[in-house]
Amino acid sequence: MRLPDSVTGLFLVGLGAAAAYGGWQLPPVPGQPVGPNVFPLVIGSGLALCGLAIAFGIGRTFEEEEEIIPVEGEKPKPQSKLYGLRALLPPALLLFYVAVAERVGFIITAAIIVFVTSTALGARWRLALPLAVLAPIVVHLIFSKLLRVPLPIGLLPMPW
Amino acid sequence: MFNTLMQAFSLISTWEVIIAMLAASVYGLVIGSLPGLSATMATALLVPVTFYLSPIAAIAVIVAASTMAIFSGDIPGALLRIPGTPASAAYADEAYAMTRKGEAELALGAGVWFSAVGGIAGTLSLMILAPPLAEIALSFSTFEYFWLAFLGLMCATLVARSSPVKAIASMFIGLLVACVGIENPGGVPRFTFGVTDLFGGIEPIPALVGVFAVAQVMRAMLTPEPPPIPRRKFGSILAGQWTLTKKYHWQMTRGNIIGIIIGVLPGAGADMAAWVSYAMSKRFSKEPEKFGTGHVEGLVEAGASNNASIASGWVPSLLFGIPGDTIAAIAIGVLYMKGLNPGPTLFTEKASSMYAIYLMFIIANILMIPLGIVMIRLAAFVLRAPRSSVMPVIMLCCAVGSFAIGNNTFGVVTVATFGVIGYVMEENGYPVAAMVLGIVMGTMVEQAFVTSLIKSDGSILPFFERPIAAILAAMAIGALMWPVLVWIGRRLKRPSPAPAE
Repeated sequence: MRLPDSVTGLFLVGLGAAAAYGGWQLPPVPGQPVGPNVFPLVIGSGLALCGLAIAFGIGRTFEEEEEIIPVEGEKPKPQSKLYGLRALLPPALLLFYVAVAERVGFIITAAIIVFVTSTALGARWRLALPLAVLAPIVVHLIFSKLLRVPLPIGLLPMPW
Repeated sequence: MFNTLMQAFSLISTWEVIIAMLAASVYGLVIGSLPGLSATMATALLVPVTFYLSPIAAIAVIVAASTMAIFSGDIPGALLRIPGTPASAAYADEAYAMTRKGEAELALGAGVWFSAVGGIAGTLSLMILAPPLAEIALSFSTFEYFWLAFLGLMCATLVARSSPVKAIASMFIGLLVACVGIENPGGVPRFTFGVTDLFGGIEPIPALVGVFAVAQVMRAMLTPEPPPIPRRKFGSILAGQWTLTKKYHWQMTRGNIIGIIIGVLPGAGADMAAWVSYAMSKRFSKEPEKFGTGHVEGLVEAGASNNASIASGWVPSLLFGIPGDTIAAIAIGVLYMKGLNPGPTLFTEKASSMYAIYLMFIIANILMIPLGIVMIRLAAFVLRAPRSSVMPVIMLCCAVGSFAIGNNTFGVVTVATFGVIGYVMEENGYPVAAMVLGIVMGTMVEQAFVTSLIKSDGSILPFFERPIAAILAAMAIGALMWPVLVWIGRRLKRPSPAPAE
C-alpha cells in the first residue's frame, strides 16, 4: 500500500480544495461576518498547501529516522500482488458484520468473523474452530449480559 | 483540603472501583505484553465498557489499564527483543542484550520498579502543576484558548517521528473530520452529503478504535508471527533494584522530569519520552560505550520516563481538553461522557473527583509492582498465545464496542473506515497521532477561532493584544516556523544537486 508521495500529495490537494469549496458553499449566518464556512475554508486551504509541499518532496529529509522503529521485526517480501489485499480483510469483515448481523444474529456472524480472521492469520482447524465457537459466546456474555448492549439475536438466541 | 481528600477516598473505596481497577490492571498487563497491541489500543477498546460504569470507576479503568500496559510492554522487549508497545521500543535492544547476558531479572525488575517510580513522579507533577495552572486558566478568553489549541496541534506535528509537512497534513485531515456534522457555529449540516448518520458528526472514539485497533489487525495480516518465547525460570525480580536506585538516582530523576515535560506537551506521549530519555542517558553517561551491550543505565532512565509521561499527559487534558497524548485523548472522550467536562473549573467544582484521580494513579503505580512481578513470571504462558487467537477477539471487540457507543451500526462502519484510513496513512508516513489530535480538538479549535473572530469583528489584531495570548501566539508561530528554518538551514549547509522545483 506504499504510494509515492506525489500521489498522496495530489490527493490531499484535491481533498483540501474540495473541503474549501464545500465550506465556501455553506450558507452564512445572517448578520454575522463569520459562520460555519470559515473553518473548512481555512483547513481546506491549509491541507491543499501541505499536499502541494508533499507532492514536491518538501520535508522528506526528516523521514529517515522513521524506519528505525523495530516494532514488528523485518517485513517479508510480499508473495504476490494479491497478498497486499489481505490487509483489507479486517475492514471487510466489519462491513460484513454491519450487513448481516441484524438478520443472522450476533453469535453466528461473530463466529464467521473469528473463524476467517483466525484462519487468515495462519491458525489450524483445531484452533480456529473452537475459538469461533467460544469467543462469540464469551463476548456475548460480557457485552449483552453484563453491559446490556442490545446485540442482535437473529437465528440463534442465547439462553440468558 | 483534608475534607476533599477524605471525600476522594470514599469515592474510590467502593467495590465497583476496586474490582474495575484490578480487572483493568490485569487486562492492561496482558494486552501491553502482547507484541503489536499498544497501550492506546488497550485503552480504546475499554471505552465501551466505561459507559456502564460510574464516572470514577470509568476513569479508574483507564488509569489502571494505561499505566500497566506501558510497563508490560517491557516484558517481550526484554525476552524477545520485540517491544510489546511502541513505548518500549527505545530500549528493547538493550533489555534483550541484558537477557542474553543472563540478567533478565535485573532488566525486568528495573522495568517494573522504575516504571512505578516514574508513574508516581508523574502523578506528583499532575498534583502540583494542575491546580495553579487552573488558576491562571480561569482568566483565559477564547483568544488564549485558540492559541493554546493551535500550539497543542503544532507540538503534535513537531514531535512526530516523520516529515513535519506530513504531520501537519495529518492534523488538517483530523480537523476536517471534526468539521462533519451540524455541531458548528451556524448549526447547518456540514459535509454530511445527506447521510443522516453523519449529522451528529464523527465520534472520536470509533475513529480511534479504527485507527489503533483495526489498522493493527490489518498490519498483522501482512507481517510474520513473532517467535514463541523460550521458557525460563526467574530469580528474584526486585533484588538489586534498590542498589540501582541509589546508583542511578540522578538518571532516574532526569528521566522523570523529561517524561513529565514530554507528557505535558500535547500529542507527545510515552514512546517519545522513552526515545528522548534513552538518547539523553547515552549522551550524558559516564560510560556511553556500554550502551547497547546490556547496560542497565538507559533502561532506568527511559523506564522512569515513559511512565511519568502517562500521568502528566493528563495535565493539559483536564485543564483545557487538549490531550497530552493519544491515551489522554481517549480519557477526554470518557470525561465528557461522564459529565466531567475538562476545564479549569473542574479543579474547584469537582475537586474531590480530581483528588480521586490522583489517588488512583498512585494506587495503580503501587499495584503495578506485585501484579507486574506476577505477570513477568507468567509471561511465558501469556506470550504463548498465538496471534491467530488474539486478533479475532480484538476484531469482535471492535465490532461490538463500536456498536455499543451509539447502539447503531454506523459506529461499526466508522471503525472500518478509519481502520483503512489509519492503515494507509501509517504506511505512507503520515503520523496518525496527529490526526487523532485534530479529531479530538477540532470542535474546540473551531469554537475558539470563530468566537474570537466574531468578538473581534473579523479583525486579526485582538488575537495578539492580550499579554498571555501574545506569548502563546509567539510560541505557536515559532513552532510553525521551526521546521521551515531547519529545512532552510540544511539546504544552506549542504546544497543539494537536484532542487525540488
